[in-house]
Amino acid sequence: MERTSVKIVVAGGFGTGKTTLVGSVSEIPPLTTEEVLTEASVGVDDTTGVEGKTHTTVALDFGRITISPDVVLYLFGTPGQDRFWFIWDELAQGAVGAIVLVDTRRLESSFPAVDYFERRGVPFVAAVNRFFGECAYTEDEIRSALELTPEVPLVWCDARDRGSSKLALIALVRHALGRLSPARA
Amino acid sequence: MAFDAWDGEDESAAGRFVPLYVLVNGRTSPRDSRLDLATQVVALPVDTRLLDPEYLRIVDRCGNWISVAEIGAYLQLPLTIAKVMVDVLVEQGYLGVGSPAQRKIVDRHLLDSVLAGLERL
Ligand SMILES: Nc1nc2c(ncn2[C@@H]2O[C@H](COP(=O)(O)OP(=O)(O)OP(=O)(O)O)[C@@H](O)[C@H]2O)c(=O)[nH]1
Ligand SMILES: [Mg+2]
Repeated sequence: MERTSVKIVVAGGFGTGKTTLVGSVSEIPPLTTEEVLTEASVGVDDTTGVEGKTHTTVALDFGRITISPDVVLYLFGTPGQDRFWFIWDELAQGAVGAIVLVDTRRLESSFPAVDYFERRGVPFVAAVNRFFGECAYTEDEIRSALELTPEVPLVWCDARDRGSSKLALIALVRHALGRLSPARA
Repeated sequence: MAFDAWDGEDESAAGRFVPLYVLVNGRTSPRDSRLDLATQVVALPVDTRLLDPEYLRIVDRCGNWISVAEIGAYLQLPLTIAKVMVDVLVEQGYLGVGSPAQRKIVDRHLLDSVLAGLERL
């Protein structure tokens, strides 16, 4: 049946503006869905017996953008805590790529996301969220702190602004296109 | 019908969070289902009178194409459960399924149309 879904992941450290970005470009107010996870505590605490497992609910925010009558783009914000790798795997699989939001007051908080997408070969752009207008770092300083390879685009954005968030998405799709093997004429 | 959720046999590493294994209609979570949380489904024109209310609720939401994640959000179902229930409905012919977002290589043509769509926003 002709109805195609496309995914983009919005990642980054705790409080970097992921939900804000999803909300600013989505055509519907961002939705939240939950995944119930169980912590496998094998070998961690043998003495507590059968009840040694913890259930945790992880919330995922997402929004949608209708691209054409048969293509819908879904934007998924990752959970703030980066220990829920299972969710990241599900979000990243088959995705066009990711936007990694960066808060310059806590550059290092976005490093796990950079590292995750780098290792899995998922195309991503770093989007520096300007919380207070001026940024104390140069692009080179941010690149080296996050260990960005030269081909990873770095864009400046204000996640609250629809136009700005849209430009970050466009930068990502262009980057993903650039990584495909050259088109045959 | 009622569905149970339980902790299945673990293949997982210690300390790692994994989804609850769920049982719906006597089956466990379909790990290799082609359903992704972004995959969209739509109600097919079939008789739904025999459906249990929990399933009917889902089909009733699918008058227009809707993703598994949206179904989970609107009906307040945990994603894993939404996915398994949608999978059951697809298998039983109540729902039609669109192209999954899961594809190894996103094709150039699709990316070009996404880019054009974003530029029009
Ligand atoms: N000044 C300014 N504030 C922002 C910007 N983006 C987000 N904020 C604010 O920063 C706070 C955190 O933003 P969220 O979008 O909730 O961040 P998040 O990454 O989803 O946070 P978690 O899901 O908790 O990790 C909110 O109060 C936002 O209003 C920005 O570009 N500029
Ligand atoms: Mg958030």
